Formats: sequence, structure tokens, C-alpha cells
Amino acid sequence: MRQVFKERERTVLHFNVADFAVAVERVADCCLRNRPLIIAPFQAARAVVYDMSEEAYQDGVRKGMSLRQATRMCRGAALLPPREVLYQKAMKAFLKELQNYSPLIEAGQADGHFYVDVTGTHRLYGPAPDVGWRVRREVRTSLGINPIWTLGTSKLISKVASRVVKPVGEYIVSPGDEAAFLAPLAIDLLPGLSGRELERLQEFQLLTIGGLAKLSRHQLMVPFGERSYYLHAVSRGVDDSRVCCPVSGADSIDNAHSFEEDTNDHEEIESALADLVSRAGADLRQRKQVARRVGIWLRYSDGGQVVRQASSKRGTAEDFSLNKLALTALSRAWVRRTRIRYCRLVCDRLQRRSPQLPLFPELEQRQRGQRKVLGAMDSLRKRFGHEVIGVGRQYARENGAARSGHH
Amino acid sequence: MWNSMASGNEVRAPGKVDVICQSASVNHGRVCPVYVGTCGYSYTEWVDSGFYPEGTRSTEMLDLYSRVFSVVELNYTWYQMARADALTRMMDKAPSHMLFAAKLTRTMTHERADNWQEQLQRYRQGIAPLKNRLIAVLIQLPPYFDRSIANRTYLGALLDGLEDLPTAVEFRHPSWAVDPVFAELERRRVSLVAVDEPPLPDLFPFVDVVTNPELFYVRFHGRNREGWRSGNMQKKFDYNYSDEELRSWRDNYCHTMASRADRGVLFFNNHVGAQAPRNGKKLAALLAQNSGHCC
Repeated sequence: MRQVFKERERTVLHFNVADFAVAVERVADCCLRNRPLIIAPFQAARAVVYDMSEEAYQDGVRKGMSLRQATRMCRGAALLPPREVLYQKAMKAFLKELQNYSPLIEAGQADGHFYVDVTGTHRLYGPAPDVGWRVRREVRTSLGINPIWTLGTSKLISKVASRVVKPVGEYIVSPGDEAAFLAPLAIDLLPGLSGRELERLQEFQLLTIGGLAKLSRHQLMVPFGERSYYLHAVSRGVDDSRVCCPVSGADSIDNAHSFEEDTNDHEEIESALADLVSRAGADLRQRKQVARRVGIWLRYSDGGQVVRQASSKRGTAEDFSLNKLALTALSRAWVRRTRIRYCRLVCDRLQRRSPQLPLFPELEQRQRGQRKVLGAMDSLRKRFGHEVIGVGRQYARENGAARSGHH
Repeated sequence: MWNSMASGNEVRAPGKVDVICQSASVNHGRVCPVYVGTCGYSYTEWVDSGFYPEGTRSTEMLDLYSRVFSVVELNYTWYQMARADALTRMMDKAPSHMLFAAKLTRTMTHERADNWQEQLQRYRQGIAPLKNRLIAVLIQLPPYFDRSIANRTYLGALLDGLEDLPTAVEFRHPSWAVDPVFAELERRRVSLVAVDEPPLPDLFPFVDVVTNPELFYVRFHGRNREGWRSGNMQKKFDYNYSDEELRSWRDNYCHTMASRADRGVLFFNNHVGAQAPRNGKKLAALLAQNSGHCC
């Protein structure tokens, strides 16, 4: 007998802590609660704003603005350097609360954003609005932060709803109400639009989402090309993207390095990268997995951040191939002359290592040699720790070695 | 089930029972329309439990609900501020016989905001589309809201702010179960919510006092003693009233309350596993059997 699967109406909760870094700093120091706050790496020569409080925002301060300009706009603001480790810790604590309600959680990068798919959890935890309210109450009690919570039938709808109520509040968009909810809203509330696209839409006097929704895909095709598909769908509240869990340890291997001092020395940065690669490679081999993509996250001394990736069709767990991918990603990410403060290496698109042997082993001789070396290094590391041995490029500049974090 | 109900379009108000007062008072023989309904109607769980047909989407639920009941308590206005645009869209789709009770938002009850007066104005604007189909604004007060002077003052101010709207108050703290409170509600023509809940200490007791001659208001929360303080809604409201319990409630209280008011509403809150609509249907049938006729 043929079994028919029916797709359930989706229920997606979005939690968003407005000005997350500020919220965490204010929990850490309650004296900061009643004054405007700007978070920026102020030791850097050309620092830019990492985050700011609502008061500073009202005074015109924006993320990415130069610190000098920001302090001119909001003179009474307290200044703090960003503490990413603290924000990661707060994210983990928030995530732990959410895990009581759903296994399907998508978390942002230390920014206080979470999507939680609660489709089908009603039998265990009750109606979704109640879950949203409870999580907010629990997070408020345990962490002292007050997230926005919104509810919709997709990530898109819940995301737009959170932008509507920002900086505090909640919004429930009833199923079926998506298009009517979006129609009167300003077009810049739609996520995923580039500055150029927004300019273009304004040129056409398309100021509301409803205005955009009135146009057919063919009409949008002329000025926006391939992007017309996306614009057409989102303006009508259509979003099939799934809530995925990129933070799950099974899906990626994540290592980071913070430099003792901000640097733009190639040798030092590549040596730090080689160390991250060797850790990721060892981890992959231990799990009997291969990675098909390597991502590099660079944070500059002024707070700017760039993320770039490199991928290969055949997955790898070998340091030599991983390093090649990492260097490609680095060359794509490192486009400024500003010094680098922090570097993160994420290996994802993981899959099981194939047990099949190569068809032409003579072509793999060099690789077999490398594998033997890595195997020997892994055995030593297993016994004496990771630092006991490494490849030469890891030690290019000993004094550059600094804080490496293994997540 | 749904086809047979759909064919009965001539039925004007399902779930409404005209209760004929049988007490020895001057109201003997008078008819009191009693509406049976549930607290909320949009539960995916009710599809799994068979109350709504398989594959029912949320947008279809109110229409299907209105074929069984004529009144519903809007729960979501407790979680978020009532919004006129959303309620207008709902009213455009709602069948004309449907009546609504709307819960007051939590920022004026459980999590009182400093700017609650402003919130109250927003709430009033938000529920405006309900117009004359608003049966009552339900003020549900939290268990810790006792009869202190500060709380009495606050409640008085809140009721003043809702003066021209039909209002019902549900207390959870037992300190409010005293005659002066009932007298004040009577003076203000505010309905005291009679609550059917587990017989546990420190809960507001069930009282069949009718403080508003225009409306009596009853909420059936279920009698799950173990689940009540579990902090999990699925346990708290997991209760199935037996026929005997419903019959007993009808015989002991319904006629007495109906004889003291022009109309009444009975809401079931034991939503888990669609027990609320099942119990509601059963009670409506029992009421119709005994003393009235069901529309």
C-alpha cells in the first residue's frame, strides 16, 4: 500500500536579543544599564562600532560606523571593547534553554539570534505561543536578558516580525495572514536584500512589500534577473528554507585563534592557520569523516568581519589538502590592509570517509606517504597531547603563538 | 462528521442552549441563553485528536469550530497585544453568529508594565473590530495577585479603564473570595468568573455567585491535581470530564446561575487531546436534554 505523507504546517519561533553584546555587558555590569553604551575595539587606530545600545542608536550610532564618529554623535556613551568569549557563553546558555523545547534550533554567531522549529512539539510542550512566552520568561530569569520572540510559519515571517517589534516585544503572525502582514511594511524590513537592490527598488518607487508583491516574476526579471525569484517569493511571504543546526558538533568542526597582538604579518597568520588546520584534520580523522568545505572567519582590529569559503568535490581529512583549501579561503577573505585580531576555521559539509581503496594506487604514492606521517603524528598526539608534534609551518613565528580555542 | 454539520447551515448558533429557569424565584420559566465554547480554537493538536478533520490548516479552523460552537475565548491576546488589523482580518472571515471573549494582555495582569494605562488604550483599540460581538474582556489575574491594598487599587483602576466594555474577572488567589469583592463587582456590573479546577489548597474556590445580571461566566480548567502545578500546560490542562461530573455541574449550578443572568458563557480550557470541545459538546447536549433546547 502506498503511504501518503502530508506536510505539516510549519511553526517557527524566532528569538532575537536586540543589541546582544550590549545586553550581555549590561548583565555583567548593572552600572551600564542606565547609560548609552558603545562596544568597539577602541585600541585599534580605525576602530568601528561592534554594537551599541538603543540610546546610542537613537543618537545616530550604527554598527560598522567609525568609533570617532560614533563618540561624536553620542558623547555620554560608555565605551567597552568586545568580549566575544563572553557572548559565546551567553549564546550557549540561551541555546540550552531552547533545547528544552525543540531539537531543531538554528543559532546565529554570538548575535542573540535563534530560530526554533516547534512544528509538531505541541503534544509535549503545548501551543507555540506558550513556548515563546515561556522561553522568554526563563531566559529573563536565568540570564537576565529580554529577547524578542515572534512566531510565524517560516523563518522569513518570524524574522520580519522581529524587525517590526524591535527592540522589545512579541509578534504572532497567524497562518494564512503572511501576505497581509507583510503588505504594508517598508521594503527594507525584508531580509537578504543588498544595498544596491534596495536602491533599485526605491528608484522604481517600490516602498512597501505589498507594492513589490503586486509585480509578476516576469516583470521583476527585467531589472533583477535571477534575483527576481527570491524577490517574488519573499514579497508574498513564501519561504521554504529549513531551520538547520549549524552549531551542532556533528555538522562542523570549529577552531579559532585570537592573536596576542593584532597583526598583518603573512607568516604569522598562515602559521596560526596551519595550527587550526592540524587540529581540524586530527579531529576529522578521529571521527572517520572528511570535510568538503573550509570556511575562514577573519575579524579585523577595527571590528570588521569577513567570511569566505573554499570547497572541493572530494572531501578530505588530510592536513595538506585542508591547508590548501584554508589558504584559498584566506586569500578570498583577507582583502584589507587592516590588522587581523581573530581567525576562525570551520570545516563543514562533513561526510563519512569512504572505505573504498583507490583504483590506481601507484598514483597515490605521495598521498600514502603523507597519510603515514599523519597517522604517526595522530598516534603521538593521542598519547602526549596535540602540541607534542606539528608540521614546520605551524612554528614559523613562535612568538606569534597565542590563544587558540577549540570549540 | 463535518459533512453532516456543514449541511446544517440553517442552524443559527450551534453550542447555544436556551436554559429554562426552574428555580422558585421570580425568574421561573424565563429563558437564559447559555453559550458553550472553548478557550482558543487554533490547536494543531485538535487535528491529531480528530476534532478537526485530517489535514485541516489553521486558516480553516475557525470556520469548522463555528459549526459546533458559537462562542470562543481568544487566548492569543494574552500573549501579545491585540492588533486591530489582525482582528479585522479574523472578523472578516468569522461566521456572523460567532461571539468572542478576549483575554486581557499579560502586560496588564501577569507581567504588569509601568505604562499599563497606555497598554490599556492600545488594547482597547486592538479589540475594537470585535464591536458588538465581544461578549467580555477577560481579566485573568495571576495566583500571586492577592487582595492587598495596592492590588485592589490597581484592579479598581483597570476596571475603570474598561468601564464601557463588558468585563469578567478571574481570580486565582483565594483572598478575593469575600462578600465585599462580590458586592463591588456587582456595583460595577462586572462578571465574576466561576472556575472549575482541581480541589487544591490556595486556589480560588468555585462559587456560583453571579455579580453581573447581564452575563455569568464559567471556565472549566479540568481537575488534574497532579498536573496543576507542573508548569507544563500539557499536564495542567489534561483532563477529561466524565458525563457524571458534567451532569452534576449542570444539576447543581447551571440553572441557579442562569436564573440570575440574562445570558451565560461556559468555556472549557482542558484543550489537551481535544478534550475541551468534546466536553463542551457533551455539556451542551446535557443542558439541552434537561431544560432547554439546543440551537
